[in-house]
Order: sequence, then C-alpha cells, then structure tokens
Amino acid sequence: MKRFWVSIFRLGIGLGAVAMALSAHAQSMFRGDPAHSGTSNATAPRQFHRVKWKFPTGDRIISSPVAEGKVLYFGGDDGNIYAVDSETGRQIWKRTTGGPTPCTPAVANGTVYAGSYDGKFYALNAQTGAIKWKFATEGERRFEAKGIHGLQPKNQTIADQYDILLYSPVVVQGAVYFGSGDGNLYALDAATGELKWKFKTGDVIHASPAYADGVLFVGSWDSYFYAVDAATGKEKWRFHGGEDALIHNQVGFQSSAAVVDGMVYVGCRDSNLYALEAATGKEKWKFFNELSWVIVSPAIKDGKVIFATSDSSLYHVVDAATGKSVLKQQDKAYMFSSPVIAGDVVLIGVLNGTLQARDLKTGEPLWDFQTETSKQNKGWVLTADRKFNEPMFFTSSWREAPIVGIERQFNIGAIFSTPLVMNGAVYFGSTDGNVYAID
Amino acid sequence: MRLFATILFASAALCQAAESAAGRWEGAAQIPGHELKLVVDLSDEGGKGWTGSIIVPGFGVKGAPLVDLHVRGGDLTFAIKGALGNERAGRAELKAHLTPDGHLAGNFTQGGNSAPFVLEKIGPAQVDLPPRNTAVSKELEGEWKGDYEMMGYARHATLKFSNRGAEGAALDFVIVGKKTNNVPVSLVTQDENFLTVKSDEFGITFEGRFSKEAGEIKGTLSQGPLEAPLVLHRSP
Repeated sequence: MKRFWVSIFRLGIGLGAVAMALSAHAQSMFRGDPAHSGTSNATAPRQFHRVKWKFPTGDRIISSPVAEGKVLYFGGDDGNIYAVDSETGRQIWKRTTGGPTPCTPAVANGTVYAGSYDGKFYALNAQTGAIKWKFATEGERRFEAKGIHGLQPKNQTIADQYDILLYSPVVVQGAVYFGSGDGNLYALDAATGELKWKFKTGDVIHASPAYADGVLFVGSWDSYFYAVDAATGKEKWRFHGGEDALIHNQVGFQSSAAVVDGMVYVGCRDSNLYALEAATGKEKWKFFNELSWVIVSPAIKDGKVIFATSDSSLYHVVDAATGKSVLKQQDKAYMFSSPVIAGDVVLIGVLNGTLQARDLKTGEPLWDFQTETSKQNKGWVLTADRKFNEPMFFTSSWREAPIVGIERQFNIGAIFSTPLVMNGAVYFGSTDGNVYAID
Repeated sequence: MRLFATILFASAALCQAAESAAGRWEGAAQIPGHELKLVVDLSDEGGKGWTGSIIVPGFGVKGAPLVDLHVRGGDLTFAIKGALGNERAGRAELKAHLTPDGHLAGNFTQGGNSAPFVLEKIGPAQVDLPPRNTAVSKELEGEWKGDYEMMGYARHATLKFSNRGAEGAALDFVIVGKKTNNVPVSLVTQDENFLTVKSDEFGITFEGRFSKEAGEIKGTLSQGPLEAPLVLHRSP
C-alpha cells in the first residue's frame, strides 16, 4: 500500500487529494504506517518550549494518539474513544465503550477503528463518533499465569499487570486486522465489519500486526511470532521465541514488529530483539538484553534499528544488517513507549513520567518534559534523580501488594503512549489522565 | 574547679542523652502523599555500644538492623540495613535530635529524597537483634563446589567455609555464570546437619543437609522467587 502511494508521488501524477491522503495516512495508525517503521514525515522540535495544551480524561491514557487531518484520535482507560482538535485541544466527540480502551486506534476512509476491553471492536464515524458497526471477539483478557513474575502464591493464576497495551488495528486494502486477548488474529471487512477470517494462536495477542507485501506479522504470548497471509489467513511461517515455564516472565511477544527491506524486527519478553527474514522467518540475528524485556516497537531508519528496554532502561541503536551495537545510552526508567524518528530527533516516553527527545545521530538527550504528577513524586515512587525506587512501592510479593505496587509505579504520570509528531508539535498521553500537546 | 565542673556537666548531659535516646520510638515520616510509619528501637544496654532495629509497618520490615548508629549528646544518626534500600536507591538513613519536649525529630532520607519525621517514646527498647553466624562443624570446613541452572542458564557455585572463633563461621561464596559474582554473605548457620547461607544483598538463600556418608551437601538455592536444586561436593 505504502509503495503504491510512493510510486504515484514519484511519477508526479499525485493529485491534491492523493497527496492529502498520503499525508494523513502517515499518521493515522500505530507507528505511522502498516509496516510500523516508526519514522514520521514530520519534524520534532529540538528544544522544548511550552505545553501547548493538555486534555484531561477520566483515567490513565495508555493509547497513542493518531491523526487524520487536524483531528487526534485516541482511547482512554475511562472507556472512551476521543476525537480532539489538535490545534486547540478541544473535544470534538467521545464514544463510550463498555470497557477501558488502552488501544491505539487506526483511521481510514472516514472511519476510526479501535478495540476495547469490553471484547468488542468498534468502527466509528471519524467526524461524529457514531457507531458504523461493532464486532464481538471471543472476549478480551490480559495474559495470566500461575505465580507470574514470582508473585505468591505460586500456584495461583494471576493476571499480568504489565500487559497494559491493548492491540492496535492496521487497515490495509479494505480490510482491518487486529489481535485479541482471545488469541485470535482477526481480519474484518473494513466497510461492513464482516469476518473474513481468523487465525488462532495459543495465547493473548496484544501486539499490533504489521503488514508488508500481503503478509501480516504479529507475535503472541504463546511464545511464537507468526507470518500470516493477509488474504487467506493461512500461516506462512512461525518463529519460536523463548519460554519461561517457571515464572512466565521471560516469554511472549508484546512488542509490535517493524518490517523494512524484507526484514522483520521485533522485541520479545525473552529479552531479545530479533531480526527475522520476512520471507522465511529465519533468524538473521538477535540482540540479547540480559533478561530485560523489549516491549517497544523498534524504529528503523538508514540501516539502524532503534529500540529501548524495560528493567535495564537502555536506549539502543544497532546495525540493521548485523545486529551489532552502534550506541547505547543509559536511561532512568523502563520504556514501553515506542521510539519515533521525526527529522533528526528521536522521541520516546519513559515510565517515570517524562517524554524524552534525543539526537538521532548521537543519542544524546536534547530535552525532556516531566509531568506534574511525576514531579510531585507521591510516596517516593522515584528517587530524586527520577529512577524507579522499588523499595518504596514493592513492599511484598504476597496478596494484592504487588498489584498495588505496580499501580503506584504506573500512576506517577508514566508515559506508555507512543508520541505523535505533527505540525511541529508532539502529542502523547500519560497515566495522569492527560493527553499533552507540547512544542 | 571550672574544668571539673565542665567534665561533670558534660558527663551528666551525655548520660541524660543516652537515657533519653534509649527506648521504643513511634511516629511517622511525612513523605509526599504518604505517611510512612516508623517504629525505632534504640538500646545502650550491656556497655556494648548502641544497637537498634526498625519496624516499618506495611513495608514488610520487622526488625531490620540499624547500622552506623552514632549517638552524640542529643544528636543521632543511623542507617537501615537490608530494607527500604537497594543498589539504585542506596540505603535509607535517619538523622535526628532529641527535642526539648522529649521527641525524636529529624530527617529521613532515601533515594535522594528527604522528609521530616517526629517520633514519640512509647516504652523501653525491644531491639530485634539479627541472627548471628554459628560455627560450622569440622567436616564442613574447606571448599565445596556444585552446579545449578536458573532461568535456563548454567551456574557454578563455590563455597569455602572457615571458623573464626567467637564470630562463628565465615564463608567465601562465589557464583560463576556469565560473570563471576562474589556473593556478600549475611548469615551462615549450622543446626545439626542443616546448613543455611543467606545473602541479603543478592536475595540468595542456600539451605542444605550435610550427609557424611554421601560426602555432599544436598539442598536448594533460591533467589527471589526462583529455586534450583544444588548439590555441593568437596573440592578435590
């Protein structure tokens, strides 16, 4: 799809409408395009100037804003899908679903597509928020396992508090594709919501499928990463990531893949970033991160792969061909937000409540923005230098203490949301319930 | 005469400070959005210098030892060992003074953050002394080796026991995986044939039973939620 538009553009026969469609399309789904390259056409500011506006909601914002024209679309954990004017920060409409919507919507042909924890998938009129159709999956759920992450009692099944990002749909050639907590990868007719096919995996799919050359690429918590024919729903190949039968910590694909130049780059909870051949699924290289998850979706540009880790809180640039480290920077807290390349700046959200801008070439920090909630540092969730202060929020592995601890960790104004860059401004959500526009 | 009076006064003041600082103190540190309750026990009994421990309700901390405990006049400083701290945050420290109205007031610092606290004396000290190393039997002295697997990674452990008289046993504990780790040992005890080794800093515990017949120490090494069987044999 993307290649098609680019071809028209290069031939100089792009009409105004086509140019507009290309421009809007580049921001209208998670990671900017169906292949999830993580590269924006826009240029990010090299200096922080101001908060242009902030849009408060009723609960945390995990979703990443997408845009069509001047309108931002995002989901909220308060159960609403929002349309907001990107210039003014004023609400255009909201549509209430039956559950939290930490899902990044996709917009195409005047329709907003998003999923909700109510187990339904929604198609909404992009101008009014009216429901065009909705589709019932087999039910939404988070990844769960006995004694997960070493929590007690170890024979008790516990939901994974870190399974926080709900799948994001991808819209290509009249079809909308998304994963689900029911383990299925779905293909629906984008216009009618009619089921074209579904592909069953062994566990939760909360990553967003990437699309390239008629193939969908998505990982599941069953430890496999899949390539599926977009037209038929037939499996082309599968790749086996790591497993962790003991505490289920080092297993599962939560990262959404990026597909560039015939290669698939994807992070895994087994602490590897994998480079796989898109045609065969053959592993070309892997980059091991010492038991630290890779949740982010990598960004690819000029033969470099940019990604970040959770516990070790490292910002990495590796060579796309070899997987060798090009540069590594120590950050202060976990990163679940995916890096976005916008001009010569890389933007990434950090779970300590800061949005960071780094120089693309050197990786050096250019500026950061810290949410007020993070500055308040209630309960000393952060150290004075903004690192996670585990002894102050993980008080026990028993009963609900870890869940409360993780809630406190996340409620510091954490930025899970992947930033959107448009017209010189940066848009992103925070667990403090706000969507911010800064420039 | 003046010198004598000064010495008398200073001595009396020190004695009074000691009496005043000793006891069980209860109160809270006012950290943002949260009142951190603290129960501190301070004792100067037995002429062995000051000892103390702390309870932090709701944080799973009961009887964590106080270290670097200094009492000078009405001023006190101490740090908490093995609780409310880690490699990233450093250790939690308290700096306090006795107030004229009999309270213990000061600053609680942790992870570079600082908050005021006030404690009130509620009774005599009940210092929770940490368990001490016991001696190990002659048969256990020397070097033992074994291999185990954790999270799919092979590791090699070496434990070298020695006895140091009244101090009980000493242990050099090394784990070799991808890196060589010298494990700081907090506790070594032997109760008949049952051996316990703990490292608070690494969150590692080894518990094993010594069998003279088999010439081995057979047990389990746990690190946080992870457990692995480990059988140690004497180094050749």
